[in-house]
Amino acid sequence: MKALLFFGFLLLLGLWYLSFLATRLDRLHHRVETSWANLDVLLQKRAAIALEIAHSDLADPASSLLLTGAAYQARDADIKNRSMAESGLSGALGLLISDGLAHATQLEQSLLQELSALTAKIRVAISIHTDAVSSTVMVRRKFVVRTFRLAGTAPLPVTYEFESDVL
Amino acid sequence: MLTSKLRIGIVCPYGWDTPGGVQNHVRDLAEFLIASGHSVSVLAPAIDEEKLPDYVVSAGKPISIPYNGAVARVLFGPIAYARVRQWIGAGNFDLLHLHEPAIPSISLLACWAAEGPMVGTFHAAAKRQKVIFAIGPILEPAIEKLSVRIAVSEAARLTLTDHLETDAVVVPNGIYAKRYSDGSAQEKWSGNTIGFIGRFEEPRKGLQVLVDALPIIARFAPDVKVFVAGPGDSKDFEKEIDPQLRDRFEFLGKISEQEKADFMSSVSLYVAPNTGGESFGIILAEALAGGACVVASDIPAFDSLLGSGKYGALFESENSTDLAKVVIDLLRDEEKRKKLAIEGKKRAQLFDWEVVAQQIFSIYEMAMVGGKGVTLGSDHRSWNRFLSRDEEKR
Repeated sequence: MKALLFFGFLLLLGLWYLSFLATRLDRLHHRVETSWANLDVLLQKRAAIALEIAHSDLADPASSLLLTGAAYQARDADIKNRSMAESGLSGALGLLISDGLAHATQLEQSLLQELSALTAKIRVAISIHTDAVSSTVMVRRKFVVRTFRLAGTAPLPVTYEFESDVL
Repeated sequence: MLTSKLRIGIVCPYGWDTPGGVQNHVRDLAEFLIASGHSVSVLAPAIDEEKLPDYVVSAGKPISIPYNGAVARVLFGPIAYARVRQWIGAGNFDLLHLHEPAIPSISLLACWAAEGPMVGTFHAAAKRQKVIFAIGPILEPAIEKLSVRIAVSEAARLTLTDHLETDAVVVPNGIYAKRYSDGSAQEKWSGNTIGFIGRFEEPRKGLQVLVDALPIIARFAPDVKVFVAGPGDSKDFEKEIDPQLRDRFEFLGKISEQEKADFMSSVSLYVAPNTGGESFGIILAEALAGGACVVASDIPAFDSLLGSGKYGALFESENSTDLAKVVIDLLRDEEKRKKLAIEGKKRAQLFDWEVVAQQIFSIYEMAMVGGKGVTLGSDHRSWNRFLSRDEEKR
């Protein structure tokens, strides 16, 4: 009888732990999604500004072409190729800004200022997102989580390997 | 800048009426947020519940526990947990900002109880300890609920990555730079003078290092005087000082903010000989804002605040000979002192609340993406679908 009670207690404890872990994992998945949504919005904004810069007098036809191409690529890329496309855009913007700053007019100055404010935000958003992804992946790697399939059908989050040189 | 007005809940882990860096930071932040039109409620332990400002809610009386080599006045336990839950449930907050959530305190309890947009600020910088291997797994599920983690300095960020394997965004502590920038130089504090502000009785504030350096300094600058401001029993400390040097020290006791501003613009050098346990060094930022030429020990927090010596002179921590050397050099070179002070004043603008709050606002924005406000959480929500509870209500 005593042994039975003991095993019953252990079983209950185990169930409690499983349910706790499942909730924790659910919360982490939620965090990954929201931080990605946040990053995505900021990146879309950046692409829009890049297009505006491409159409301004700041860009000569050649770099305008490069920038427009990169911006569209960044917008269309799916989540797996996103970081590469965004790095391409960073590179194109970096090229332009490094030699465009000298002869920018008032309007273009404000565009560039907006861009640099956005870049600071993106940097923070990236660190938030990669952190969410890495802690999710860490929990999903746990033996218990894999055995009991606590992640359900949620896809494994994609690590966003943003090159560190976001301008 | 956030345009909409938010309801923000801030949790301060340490007793509101005991002096300390975290409390000051929380008070300034809350007042800045209120001044920008947000509604703010601060939950903090308090000894005297009568004297609290009206935005502070008391969580009960703090208890003193030894933590990390110092005595922390914090609060936890079942009754405190109930209070925290009640505060979260009734507050209807858009966002919670928890300070120092990795110590046993109401911040940790709030982190455990709540669900939704949460920001955590980590103030402490400590060396890696073995005990963290035992504590880590308990803290992890709570800490990972925070949408965004803020560290007040690079040192605090390293502590966090070391201890809990999670990254953080660095946002410095804020100061009201304007309050210190218009101090007027006072005759009584000028000349060959050295200033020190802090709880001088605590060994980690390092006044002893300065006392040990003084004999050498006095040999080269015979008229040097040291002014020590800050709460504490000066009689006890004076007994420790070599009688020949005793008259060079003057203890001013606790001074007001205005006096502090005057103090900073009067003294020739401001010395911060702290030996450790400092994670940001708010007093240094204030000294820089006040236009003082700063000499500080080279502990990581001060090193990064002073840009490795660009905005103030550094000396090897706990080495009084080195301190004496740096002080004598600067006392003799007014040109260099002025240059450092000007550079430092520029540097201090980075820590002004206007700038810092902007960064905090943008982090709030990011934390609130997709969140529908703060609610009391459940650790077993996966059962809801079997119990046919309404998921949407959460």
